[in-house]
Amino acid sequence: MLKRLYRWVDLRIGAGEIVEKELTGYLLPRNINEWYSLGSVLLVIFVLQIVTGMLLMVYYVPDADKAFKSVTFIMNEVPYGWLIRLCHAVGSNMMVAVLILHMLSTLVMGSYKSPRELNWLTGFILLTLVQGISLTGYLAPWSQLSFWATTVATNSANAIPVIGPDLVEFLRGGKLVGAPTLGRFFALHVSVLPVVITALIGAHLFILKRTGISTPPFGASETDKPWRTDSYHYQSHPGGIPFFPNYALQDLTSICIYFAIFLAVVFFAPNLPFTPDAFVPADPFKTPAHIKPEWYFLANYQILKIFPSELLGLSVQAIAMTFLALLPLIDRSPERHPMRRPLFLICTVAGILLWIGLTVWGHFS
Amino acid sequence: MENDGRRKFLGVCLAGATAAAAVAAAYPVFRYLTPKSGQTGTGKLVLSASELPEGEAKFFEYAGASAVLVRTKTGELVALSAVCTHLGCIVQWVKEKQHFLCPCHAGLFSTDGTVLSGPPPKPLVKIPLTLTEGKITIG
Repeated sequence: MLKRLYRWVDLRIGAGEIVEKELTGYLLPRNINEWYSLGSVLLVIFVLQIVTGMLLMVYYVPDADKAFKSVTFIMNEVPYGWLIRLCHAVGSNMMVAVLILHMLSTLVMGSYKSPRELNWLTGFILLTLVQGISLTGYLAPWSQLSFWATTVATNSANAIPVIGPDLVEFLRGGKLVGAPTLGRFFALHVSVLPVVITALIGAHLFILKRTGISTPPFGASETDKPWRTDSYHYQSHPGGIPFFPNYALQDLTSICIYFAIFLAVVFFAPNLPFTPDAFVPADPFKTPAHIKPEWYFLANYQILKIFPSELLGLSVQAIAMTFLALLPLIDRSPERHPMRRPLFLICTVAGILLWIGLTVWGHFS
Repeated sequence: MENDGRRKFLGVCLAGATAAAAVAAAYPVFRYLTPKSGQTGTGKLVLSASELPEGEAKFFEYAGASAVLVRTKTGELVALSAVCTHLGCIVQWVKEKQHFLCPCHAGLFSTDGTVLSGPPPKPLVKIPLTLTEGKITIG
């Protein structure tokens, strides 16, 4: 039956040709490893975020007077509302975590190097956009945590010279965080950012397909030809393994492992993404003690606290982010094996330890 | 041959597990989107008889849908579903002519719900009511 249906479709749109070109005939390096499957895991997470987000919009009311009540209603009254909401809240954290792992693996394996500068850059922009969509969604429940975390986050733009105060007012839609802030953050969260992120994912995959997948620097490599800059060519992997079924199985394994971790958090540690302030409705006249941003902003938060001036703190972060975004243009050596790049390895390990240290410090400070 | 058997068995297991996972994911979504059963219940509604003069109609929500209570010029009380039996629009009370008009396709109903003209295939559904000590209990 399925075979007949496939043949019917194949006769009309040439499905077999697509399968041959994109799946069974799409060859990957023989020494490809598990880390390459994180992109597929991220795609699954993004789709799940879109689906759970659409479902939440059925009951969520983006009105400052009703938002908290509607979230409480979803959590306590709607059948399985807690599951949909927790999947969305935990999923947003997991998406940032997996995205960081994906970028770290790209960094360590030197896959960001020429000719994949555009892939790195689009990936880097995607990381900042995913942080942006998480930040805008953070305000949606209109809890004390949402309200004050957004107040602190938007306030940091004050440090920008000349335009700072106007920029803060523009971001908030008023002098303080209020109903207009919820309106614009909600619009960004559910319409603008998802569209931009989808378009960038498309661009990221298009570039990947046009350039060809990189060969890991570990294990036996079948293609050691250096990249030539005189003309465009697709980096193929003759004699490699087919994407389907070989690597699709690895993708599926990684997705299953992800789901095991994700569902373990949803069912056994559902309060992990929340602090007690997340269960109290927003009160603009009562600032809770020790308000902290999400874990992935803790390092940025701590940097702002360390430096005597906020402008200096912001500048350091801007320089670090620009350096990371332009890394493929700065680091031009063709060598990709981390053990043969001691300076790079030391800087990367030191950078990761610094980020973890600042995050832990930010958490306990 | 033995390998084929194993492959087929594993394929069936995988298909079964996928189907089970799909059902496990779809069931909460279905329940999440299903309206709460309490919203369409048929509880009783009590109105004061003095609220409704002769020749007037009062619209209200009953059992999750629109309903209407009318006191005819002869003093008779009638409770009807206000949902037109043609395509589900809400009928309007035409006080001057003492009948119900559906504004969607001009269906006309009498005060007891009977179809007078137009496309409605059935009369308006009657809702039972009782009148005791100046209180009208609907349902």
